[in-house]
Amino acid sequence: MKVFFSGLLLLLVMYGLQTSLLTFLDYNGVSVNLMLLVTVSVAFLHGWKAGVAAGLLTGLLQDFSSGSFFGCATFSYMTIGLFFGRFSKHVFKEQMFFPVLSAPMAAAIHFCIMSAFLFMLGMKPDLIQSVRTILIPFVLYQLVFSWFVHKVVKSFGNFAAEQMQIKTGGLK
Amino acid sequence: MSNYIRKKNHSGKKLAALIVVFIIVFCSVFLSSRSKIEFSVPDKTVMAIMSPFQNTFSWVGSQLAFLEKTVSEMRHLHQQNKQLREEVELLRAQNLTASEFAAENQRLRALLGYKQVATQFDLVAAKIIGREAATWSSVVVINRGTADGVADNMAVVTELGLVGHVMEAGLNTSKVQLILDPRSSVGTLIQRPESRVAGIVEGDLNDPNHPRMINIPKNADVQIGDMVVTSGFGGVYPKGLVVGKISDIHNDEGGLLKYGVMDASVNFEKLEDVAVIVASRETPPEPLPPPAQTPGTETDPAKTAEQLKQSQQAVQDAGNNVHQAQQQQLQQSQQQQQTQGQPQQTTQPAPGGGVRR
Repeated sequence: MKVFFSGLLLLLVMYGLQTSLLTFLDYNGVSVNLMLLVTVSVAFLHGWKAGVAAGLLTGLLQDFSSGSFFGCATFSYMTIGLFFGRFSKHVFKEQMFFPVLSAPMAAAIHFCIMSAFLFMLGMKPDLIQSVRTILIPFVLYQLVFSWFVHKVVKSFGNFAAEQMQIKTGGLK
Repeated sequence: MSNYIRKKNHSGKKLAALIVVFIIVFCSVFLSSRSKIEFSVPDKTVMAIMSPFQNTFSWVGSQLAFLEKTVSEMRHLHQQNKQLREEVELLRAQNLTASEFAAENQRLRALLGYKQVATQFDLVAAKIIGREAATWSSVVVINRGTADGVADNMAVVTELGLVGHVMEAGLNTSKVQLILDPRSSVGTLIQRPESRVAGIVEGDLNDPNHPRMINIPKNADVQIGDMVVTSGFGGVYPKGLVVGKISDIHNDEGGLLKYGVMDASVNFEKLEDVAVIVASRETPPEPLPPPAQTPGTETDPAKTAEQLKQSQQAVQDAGNNVHQAQQQQLQQSQQQQQTQGQPQQTTQPAPGGGVRR
């Protein structure tokens, strides 16, 4: 319970940061997406099931609190959680290189999924211009913040493991 | 063997559940886009939970932004005024807090000035505490909700012009859809009296900072530099709010219509304080100006009206006096006839107050 509420609080703090403080650092309306970084990190550290669950949670949080079409972010994050969670077994947990490098890739996948949704909903975004004005700054932002977010998620994972150990030790 | 089968069944169930969740989420995108399903209760709950975090971070962010701005100004002054650097830094440090309040005061004064000028609107001032991270939509969160009288579909403005409308009002916070959002559509008019061409202003997905005025007939009188104001059609936005200025005109793909690229009157990147129009009414008509008078025969309209009133009163008094005198004469003649005992002729008062025989 303690771990669950701590995780929820961490998520709320990060989303609060994303939607208020970090928007001051935006470039032409584009800023960092911490929810996406959290999903990728959880997927890398704990596998595809946890990745999908994290994607569902962060996506729902964003869809409920923002005015976007409900489900777009949830679907995108779940897909990304599933995709990167598949690599979990092949990546050594302590190294930072792959999780950090995968952040821009996740950003690109997110951009593709959102663009596909926009097309399906009847909007006509100019893809070449969107890549120039949205995707490139978005990828750079994700790359800059990915190390920090991965570190935070890993620390929280260690904290959760310790708590579980204490709990199981107590039961014995 | 049985363990293997059980494990396989278990993973199959998980896979099926995962596919179901994906399908539900995928379908909900299209259902919500057509407003077939709404999540007002969870929406409002999440907004209520998020509002303290957003308020806090927004405050910290504004402090940091102000600090960053101050630091950059100080560096600029350092380059330009090397000799006065120490003095300027000292004054900046002393005025740091005062400047912050002054900046806020200036913004609020401008908003208050607009509030006093726009007497036809009841306004509620609000501060922006959150911005939507999605790059293709433009939604901000303000710190006013239903508890402050804010409701869905209310127009949001600054002293410079239209900002958007309340998309969803929570208890203490509300989501505001900016006019830059591609889903937003505002009924508008060209303000120029000889034009008055109607169109719809909507956000441009490919150029988020420049909304477009669409549905303009190709031969319509629209020029670069024309001011665009709300038309009042649709009932969400009151008539006459400034939206922006036409900066470029292009022909539409179909060939029958054209559209105007606009410079919005509001700087959305520096948007901090807004006002929500919670009630609006028609502007009272201007009093009629007195007609031009012939030189040498000028009269004071107020004095003339007073004299007219006095003369009307005098005529009415005289009429009353005449009526009373006639009544008295009638009574006297009736008394005389009764005393003589020969009522040969009858007299009766005429409707006009006279006596008819």
